[in-house]
Amino acid sequence: MTSITPHIDSVVVTCTLLAAGLPLGASAVNFLLPGKTGRASGWLSVLAILGSLILAGIVFSKVWNAGEWSVQQAWFTIGSTTVYAGLLFNNLSALMLLLVSAIALPVHIYSTAYIKAAEQNRYFTYLSFFCFSMLALVVVNNLVMLYAFWELVGFSSYLLIGFWFTRDGAVKANKKAFIMNRIGDIGLLSAIIILFVQYHTFDLTLLFGQNGLVFNSFMRNGLWMAPAHQLPAVWQCIAFGGVFLAVAAKSAQFPLHTWLPDAMEGPTSVSALIHAATMVAAGVFLLGRVYPLFNTTELDILAIIGCFTAFLAATIALTQNDLKRILAYSTISQLGYMIMAMGIDAYASSLFHLVTHAFFKCLLFLCAGVIIHEVQHIKDEHQLDIDPQNILYMGGLRKKMPITFMATVVGCLALVGIPLTSGYLSKDGILIQAFEWAESRAWYYEILPVGILLTSALTAFYVARLIFKVFFGEFKLKEIFPDIHLHISDGSWAYRLPLILLALCSLFPLFSWNPLLYEHAWLFKGFLPVDYLVRENVYHAIVPALINIISVFVVYWAYAVYLQQRKLVFSQKSFLFKLSYHHWYIDTFYQQVVVKAVVAFSQALFWFDRQVIDGLIHQLTRAGKLLAGMSAWADRYIIDGFLLLITQVVKGIGSFFRSFQGGKVQYYLYSMLILMLTLFIIKLLV
Amino acid sequence: MNILTLFIFIPALFGFLILALPDGLKQTFKYITLTATLIQLALGIYLYLNFKTGAEFAGINHEQQFQFVQKLPWISLNMGNAGRMQVDYFVGVDGISVLMLVMTAVVMVIAVLASWEIKQNLKGFFALFLMLDMAVAGVFCALDFFLFYLFYELMLLPLYFLIGMWGGVRREYAAIKFFLYTLFGSVFMLLIMVGLYLSVTDPGTGNHTFNLISMMNPANYTQGSVFSLASHQTLFGVPARVLGFVVIFIAFAIKVPVVPLHTWLPDAHVEAPTPVSIILAGVLLKVGGYGIIRICMGIFPEVAVSGAFWIGLLGVISIIYGALNALAQRDLKRLIAYSSVSHMGFVLLGLASLTAEGVSGAMMQMVSHGFLSSMLFFLVGIIYDRVHDRDIYNFRGLATTMPQYTTFVMIAFFASLGLPGFSAFVAEAFTLAGTFKSDLVPHWMAVCGSIGILLSAAYFLWTLQRMFFGKELLKGGDAWKQALTGLKIREKLALFPLAVLALALGVMPSLVFGKINDSVLALIEFTKHMVR
Repeated sequence: MTSITPHIDSVVVTCTLLAAGLPLGASAVNFLLPGKTGRASGWLSVLAILGSLILAGIVFSKVWNAGEWSVQQAWFTIGSTTVYAGLLFNNLSALMLLLVSAIALPVHIYSTAYIKAAEQNRYFTYLSFFCFSMLALVVVNNLVMLYAFWELVGFSSYLLIGFWFTRDGAVKANKKAFIMNRIGDIGLLSAIIILFVQYHTFDLTLLFGQNGLVFNSFMRNGLWMAPAHQLPAVWQCIAFGGVFLAVAAKSAQFPLHTWLPDAMEGPTSVSALIHAATMVAAGVFLLGRVYPLFNTTELDILAIIGCFTAFLAATIALTQNDLKRILAYSTISQLGYMIMAMGIDAYASSLFHLVTHAFFKCLLFLCAGVIIHEVQHIKDEHQLDIDPQNILYMGGLRKKMPITFMATVVGCLALVGIPLTSGYLSKDGILIQAFEWAESRAWYYEILPVGILLTSALTAFYVARLIFKVFFGEFKLKEIFPDIHLHISDGSWAYRLPLILLALCSLFPLFSWNPLLYEHAWLFKGFLPVDYLVRENVYHAIVPALINIISVFVVYWAYAVYLQQRKLVFSQKSFLFKLSYHHWYIDTFYQQVVVKAVVAFSQALFWFDRQVIDGLIHQLTRAGKLLAGMSAWADRYIIDGFLLLITQVVKGIGSFFRSFQGGKVQYYLYSMLILMLTLFIIKLLV
Repeated sequence: MNILTLFIFIPALFGFLILALPDGLKQTFKYITLTATLIQLALGIYLYLNFKTGAEFAGINHEQQFQFVQKLPWISLNMGNAGRMQVDYFVGVDGISVLMLVMTAVVMVIAVLASWEIKQNLKGFFALFLMLDMAVAGVFCALDFFLFYLFYELMLLPLYFLIGMWGGVRREYAAIKFFLYTLFGSVFMLLIMVGLYLSVTDPGTGNHTFNLISMMNPANYTQGSVFSLASHQTLFGVPARVLGFVVIFIAFAIKVPVVPLHTWLPDAHVEAPTPVSIILAGVLLKVGGYGIIRICMGIFPEVAVSGAFWIGLLGVISIIYGALNALAQRDLKRLIAYSSVSHMGFVLLGLASLTAEGVSGAMMQMVSHGFLSSMLFFLVGIIYDRVHDRDIYNFRGLATTMPQYTTFVMIAFFASLGLPGFSAFVAEAFTLAGTFKSDLVPHWMAVCGSIGILLSAAYFLWTLQRMFFGKELLKGGDAWKQALTGLKIREKLALFPLAVLALALGVMPSLVFGKINDSVLALIEFTKHMVR
């Protein structure tokens, strides 16, 4: 079909198909083999994803900066519409393919140690299936397949969050995750249907490509005009709303973000891969795919929502005590950065941040996994009744787990955006462009860059709090239970290798040889529009300096609060603390109001069904029975009664006359006499 | 021998065999029935494979385009001045009906496999079962209204007894409710059928005819007759053709079922034994959808177009109302019954759109729901056979007790809630796409319909969470734990093909669309043509 560079490289196509197919094969083998394979299933999946990584590397080397092209084959025909199955190759596909497999490999290795041998068969069935869905999602070339894999990604996430299905928390969390994602799914489905009806195609290149159908449609007189069809303008807004819902659900943006912290009930390795690095980035990826659809107002909405979510999540992360939840809110916050970057037209920076964030957030989760694993170990060994994820029980771990400590520090520095890390490059790029963006607009648009700057400061604070509480000071558990023995360490090589790999990827050299200028990053350049002009202005110097000064100050503040125990922080009784600690009560609102209302409404409808509709039927039955009873009565007493009356009358008359024929002569004489007399009397009278 | 005739009467033949055999052989009855349905399945597969596609085999309103046709004069009465009464034995299939037949054949095999648990009065059960099988097959093949009606009514009798005699505690209530509901619809249909008969003449012989295909051609209507398109007659102040459409639509809407004519369904399902539930949900509901396509839209296309809004509205209401009701259930079987109402709402919505996508989606939904609802009811039957309880709150953590069973439940649930890769996704997505594309129904109906997809996730996942996950906790304690044994070979044999079919249709929708496409396009073209 349409391809800007008309060559179709069959090697690339085969490699891509194999890259996505290998995990599917591993998943299928694990599913079909009986559950006693133990660690073998783990290594099968590791091999599969290693293969995917190598193939993705080949694909990347051939596709990156080589234009956009696609291959497709007819899948099925419905009516006169043919739906294709196909692959789309451009920078975004190639990058995502490589990123997903690159993140998945360390997580797979880590999982072989992290998950018990007996559970590995099931675990790797799900994990490989997830990798398949995600890898396929990023390379498909049409909206139908995009939707299919979009939902399969959610489905595998459901399986993995609820991996420990005997835990109530886990199964509630996976249900919630799936249903909230379903809200996004129906949004996406509606948007796809609207686009299909408007443009008569599902093809991504035809729709969103250079000079594609979306470019050639416009608004006129309240109508949304496409080359071959038109719809009222409101449907363009609804299509945007649908895409937004999908993005908000997958990438955990306000108001659909509440499933992500709960999803931390799944194994930590899963959180690292799915709920930090890959699946949650799918929302940003979707925005990248359908970017030309949005008009300026809609982009502003994206920017505002992204900024607000970043701020909201950062404030919540300040007060959480669960190690994984802090990271989960941090993820939501960073995803907010990416969405905002999309909204302020910093497309390249958004995707750049997506990539760098994937590495350092995955790293942070894996570190958290090691820590939790060790604390869980102590808990099991000494039969303690504690939550192994609570950072209040931790402390002083830097000496026991040096590698984990170093890795966490690298991850955290990248998260804060300190120079020499990848996070500095990508995040500061977003901030600088946010200031540039606001400059050309009305004064109140300044709220956005200022808000995101404030969020950066909050990030520095919660990150510092996490590091200090976990790695510095004294081990609190030892203080509470003085007689426990500690033999905790960084764990086996299967833990250490992924941490080291990911930590190296979280530093600048992978992305740019210049550690200070994001414009020099190859990845950033790969997504720039052709006519991009490097702007020289004061923000490029001020913003990074400002952020770093603020960050250092905030980290010192946190140091003073948590290590020197000075009271420089809000009281735990204050409203703001409670608001943060209870996640702004958003989830409470959903549970108490929305869910209860829906359930109550369904109960009411069931009552309606039983009492009103069925009641009506029963009334009809009763009416029918009554009518039948009445007609039975009428039958018996009126119709039959009338017949009976006639027979009675006839019988009476008969009896009367019969009584004259009694056989006695006297009676005959009497009757003759009476008859004669009557005749004479009548004769006389007449 | 015509293959369709064989397909219809094979069950009857085996039914007579069962009646003739002595009671001492009653253990063989289920195998005899299984043989009958397997032969039927083989015939169905033969039909499917040999069904020719292409615009010249579209069927719908062209008699010569139907395949595997057999047409024999059956009743021919000289009525003096009223001419000759002509009833034909006329069977044939087009794209719309061939898939219904294949699906019926599959579901019947599954239903027999579910009948292993029937313990009493086997002779009666299996004889009635086969009679039902024959009637259903006949409905999907008949192209003569009289024949259609005969088979249609013939379905009622065995079902009434199957529910009323082998059902649960309130079986008599459920049976009579089902019977009266359906009879209510079909009795009035009889009047319209007679009206149509008197209006239509066979162009060949000049006699009045019950031929469904002839009824689709406006030229065959006698001048001034009650249903003639040109004469604009009214009955009770309503245009006669609108009245005819509405009456027949109500008859089929009861079968589908459409809210608010659906309340027989939860009761019938809850009380019916598992095999009857499977047939009821898997096949009988589709008779409703099929009837709407073949008869309502075939004979009264212009009314279907002008009434599209109301049909679509009923569809949307069914989708959402059924889903919300399912959310309120605590009896697993009743939950699935209400989910059927919701899923069949998509069929109505798709048909109302009268677009190729919408009608194909509706057809796909019928086939898909046939397999999936059979699977769901089979799964409920498994647990009910073991502990005689289906209350969701009486079970917890079944995934630990019955891991394989739970795998199948998850497949069935996720397939039903429209997970891509399974048939229901393709069906629902394209139904909604067709709805949005249609000029006949408003766009918002597509968006509202998608809420049904969301709610289906809610009630299925909530059920999974409550019944299957969490720590194991059963109301019956250890006794139940003993009783809840793993899946038997027979059960796996029934469930596995259904899961594979649902997956196959989801991955390769062309298995369905390839066969129906020409007929659907012809149907759309035909309705458009009739309106012009």
